[in-house]
Amino acid sequence: MAIREKHGVHSRVSKMTFEENKPKAFERVNSVESSYRVYDNEKVGIFHCIGEVDDEEGFARAQADPERARPYPFTPESGDVRRRDKRESELSDSELMAASEEYMKYLTDNYPRFTFSGGIRTESIEYTLKNDLGIDYASSDACAGVSIQFKHKDSVDIIDGSFGFNFRKFDDGTIFRTMADLYLGNYETMAELPEEIVIVMQYYGLTGMLQSELNAEGLALGTSRLSGKVGEKVFSEDFSMEHDAGEKEAWFTRFWDGEGCVIPEEKLVLIENGVIKTGISDKRVAKKYNVPHTKSAGHNYADLPYVGGLNLRIKRSEKTVKELLAGRPAIIPMNATGSPMDANGDMSLLVNTSLLWDGERVIGRLPQFRVKANFFDLFGKNFIGVGSDDVKAFNDKAILLRMERV
Amino acid sequence: MSEKYHFPEGLYSDIRIEESYSTTMSMFNGELTRDFARPEIGAMIRVYDGKLWYTTSTNDLSEIQKELDALAELATPDPAIYENPAIRLLEVNRDERLVYEGENKLCNITRERFMKVLNHYVEKCVDASVPEVSSWSIGVGGEYQKKSFYSSKGSAIVYDYQMCSCGIFYAITVDGQQINGGRQYFGVTPEEMFGHENEALAERDRYIDYLKNAVELEPGEYTCVLSPITTAMFAHESFGHKSEADFMLNDQKLRDEWVLGKKVGSDLVSICDDGALVQHGYIPYDDEGTKARATWLIKDGVLTGRLHDSTSAAALSEELTGNCRAQDYFRRPVVRMTNTYMAGGKDSFEDIIADTKDGIYVYMVSDGTGSATFVMNATVCYRIRDGKICEPIRVRMLSGSVFQTLFDIDRVGSDFEIFDTYTCGKMGQTVRVSAGGPTIRVRKLQVG
Repeated sequence: MAIREKHGVHSRVSKMTFEENKPKAFERVNSVESSYRVYDNEKVGIFHCIGEVDDEEGFARAQADPERARPYPFTPESGDVRRRDKRESELSDSELMAASEEYMKYLTDNYPRFTFSGGIRTESIEYTLKNDLGIDYASSDACAGVSIQFKHKDSVDIIDGSFGFNFRKFDDGTIFRTMADLYLGNYETMAELPEEIVIVMQYYGLTGMLQSELNAEGLALGTSRLSGKVGEKVFSEDFSMEHDAGEKEAWFTRFWDGEGCVIPEEKLVLIENGVIKTGISDKRVAKKYNVPHTKSAGHNYADLPYVGGLNLRIKRSEKTVKELLAGRPAIIPMNATGSPMDANGDMSLLVNTSLLWDGERVIGRLPQFRVKANFFDLFGKNFIGVGSDDVKAFNDKAILLRMERV
Repeated sequence: MSEKYHFPEGLYSDIRIEESYSTTMSMFNGELTRDFARPEIGAMIRVYDGKLWYTTSTNDLSEIQKELDALAELATPDPAIYENPAIRLLEVNRDERLVYEGENKLCNITRERFMKVLNHYVEKCVDASVPEVSSWSIGVGGEYQKKSFYSSKGSAIVYDYQMCSCGIFYAITVDGQQINGGRQYFGVTPEEMFGHENEALAERDRYIDYLKNAVELEPGEYTCVLSPITTAMFAHESFGHKSEADFMLNDQKLRDEWVLGKKVGSDLVSICDDGALVQHGYIPYDDEGTKARATWLIKDGVLTGRLHDSTSAAALSEELTGNCRAQDYFRRPVVRMTNTYMAGGKDSFEDIIADTKDGIYVYMVSDGTGSATFVMNATVCYRIRDGKICEPIRVRMLSGSVFQTLFDIDRVGSDFEIFDTYTCGKMGQTVRVSAGGPTIRVRKLQVG
């Protein structure tokens, strides 16, 4: 008997943008996206729709394309009613407009030797999943985000740096002013590049790289740098990483994966004290390569799921960032370009503009420099840690990594 | 046409309707892992009161008038809005350019026709006896877009664009080391993508040879010969982004630095952007309704133009160029490149290599960025010694200063090519572009 399933996302965005210190546009987006799936006889028909559509029509269209019926030799998930709402407040357009005006005034009044572009946005998303086997899931979240690009008036570059952060509730502007002062207050003071290069940054780009290498299909085929290393200690004793679908600090997460699977406790340990514990898989990869099914299917509305879509969290140290630095300064890259990894896992990074930071204050701006890093060393001998505290430079947690100057 | 909408008084407004269709089928190691077709329709509505743009988007075309009226409520009407310098510049065009119809319009192309191409390349380009290939992926697909634009000044434009592509990629593994390599091929219909099997296999073998034999290179400054596809990215990254005028509206330093008429490169350098070329960056009209045209950014080494939307053109008292583009109907248009290329010269590839005593031949790059110090990430490079291409070398990054590198170009080849493989990111928006160029020689680039 055919089983019907509907995946949905409803997103509302309001955004105020600035161009060279002046208000440019007020933008609103209200979008509805649905994926209708009909499972029958080990196949699934899919209809992906952006915009409103009647459910009966959606399911009928999912069933109406036998040529494209995808093989799906798995039982769809069953479940019950479950709701999660991470929203903390209604983020109104009037608050958005008022904050935008206030933030831009603060920047132009206090930092007249810079020009600013960017925007402030509020976003609210509701994800839903419903099927004939009882699943009725919904997950909502809302946040505001600030993103500012700046350019010094004496610079011949297009952009010199940027800063930004997300938050669930508008504050009195303290977070913004603190961050602006940190990035801009000492920008015109030139500092010297230290002997030891310690980079401080948010870690989301790095976890993306690890997620890709942990794909169980790549591990099985030998195309991952971590192939043959599951169960081995590959990284630093201090490096642990897990998928945490319930992480409070993360934005817009869902507690189910792209196949409707829910992980017990919502956590999956991938790397523990440097040891690779498991690769990640969806149902197809688990079956094909005879590996554990880790319920790690990404949310693909147009087609079959793929492996991915995790919310990865690197375990925080018990030490603060300042304690991890132990008196050394760290570098906050602001305008930098990295290369992809080469066959050896080596990468290069050209840092055009960056700030030298002592863990609390910015000491000054650094000249352009180049560094190199290696995939295994980054999370191995060159991994210093993720601080126990949130740093003001990101209004978020921060990772400290050593890199080698070229 | 535009008469079907009631545009509010005292405000400039426009409506952009996008009807698209995309399809993809791809096979990974013999398993069909992607197989979908997706139609989509939506509209962006904009209102301008002389101070702020108000925008919204909808998937329900019957709601456009309602959305337009709601935006007008937010704005403050200005009876003199059409005297605003940016609005005054906007062109009024009425045109219909619908090229794709019948069985070769993407939504009418059968899945079977795409599967024939896919199966053809699986048969011709997959060889299980090549041990270095640890996985392969072959994908085919296409994108079609019909765009309609109506403005309160009277523009009414409809045009369409279609492109199909086929990508053949291999993961190559040798002694635990791994790289990915391959190429994409383009055509208007699936059948136009046949005939590239020998190129694809040669590319696979090149990557295998590269992984087996590439040696490390000491970082430093080197003379570099760039292949046409590398020159294409160089033109886009090194200079193209600096020609987008929205970053210099009120910035005197940049206005002085990029003043028209200034010598910015060697006499051999000419760079053009042209949205009218039917390539991957084709837009006969931009998202403000401005007709596309060829804009020479650099001619014989002299800065001769830059890319504009109406705001930047008005701010700099220059002409519109047709470069205001949005990724889709959810996004507001900004100044973007279209088809950007460095013009060809007179030298043959063989002569350029033979004339290079010591240097690097950059065969392929993967991506890049365009700050004052531009960056290109190299994937396959070779050493040049005594006028000959020698061993493969490992190079991760090429970089240089835009203010110096254009002067360092001393040989320009006649082997001009244009490549449709590119997309370009800016301000969170990705748009399709093409880039082109010939083989060129740059006296020095930082290689490391």
